[in-house]
Amino acid sequence: MNSVGEACTELKREYDQCFNSWFSEKFLKGDRSGDPCTETFKKYQRCVQKAIKEKDIPIDGVEFMGPIKDKPES
Amino acid sequence: LRVISYCFVCSYPWETVIKAAMRKYPNPMNPNVVGVDVLDRSLDAEGRLHSHRLLSTEWGLPAIVRAILGTNHTQTYVKEHSIVDPEEKKMELCSTNITLTNLISVDERLVYRPHPDNPEVTILTQEAIITVKGVSLSSYLEGMMARRMSANARKGWDAIEWIIQNSEREYASL
Repeated sequence: MNSVGEACTELKREYDQCFNSWFSEKFLKGDRSGDPCTETFKKYQRCVQKAIKEKDIPIDGVEFMGPIKDKPES
Repeated sequence: LRVISYCFVCSYPWETVIKAAMRKYPNPMNPNVVGVDVLDRSLDAEGRLHSHRLLSTEWGLPAIVRAILGTNHTQTYVKEHSIVDPEEKKMELCSTNITLTNLISVDERLVYRPHPDNPEVTILTQEAIITVKGVSLSSYLEGMMARRMSANARKGWDAIEWIIQNSEREYASL
């Protein structure tokens, strides 16, 4: 699967792989420790945020139906 | 405004379905989703995992609809918020389009839960609210979108099953 920023696809794959293995091997099995992918995520995020700005995608200020309304994010 | 809702039963346990749901794209049933990015991800105080994702989609609207809406934009962005609660065994996912919002809004909500009487089976409930704004023929368009989404809802479930079967093959070949 691609990223919104072409340049970020490789970073995204690396992060996804890290996340998916934590998600199935730890999180779903009741391990409450956070995912170990923070560094990879930061690198990937810097790339994505840049692409979002360049493409002018309005990611902020969108109202959702469902859980956000009855449980505001902290 | 149209509201549509469905309920599907899938003969796989919740964990299997959730793993597939988290890595649902790409799959051959949703070729319109061309990109997926995680924008934010965190655990809350109750140990639930929140993910905010950005989906890049090609709607492939019929030419007549593009003409009525007066847009040639075929690339649309969707924002998605999902919450996975591993204790309660519940995954909830809400999404909404963030572009073309002056023309149409499609809000979707999906909940995956184990069947109350059979833990080997997962139930998906899905609802969508479609609103076409400010154009004549909007009820025609809402009806058309609702029909498209009815077809897509079934495809979403097929996609999950495809992922499950495919990743089982993947594991088996390791």
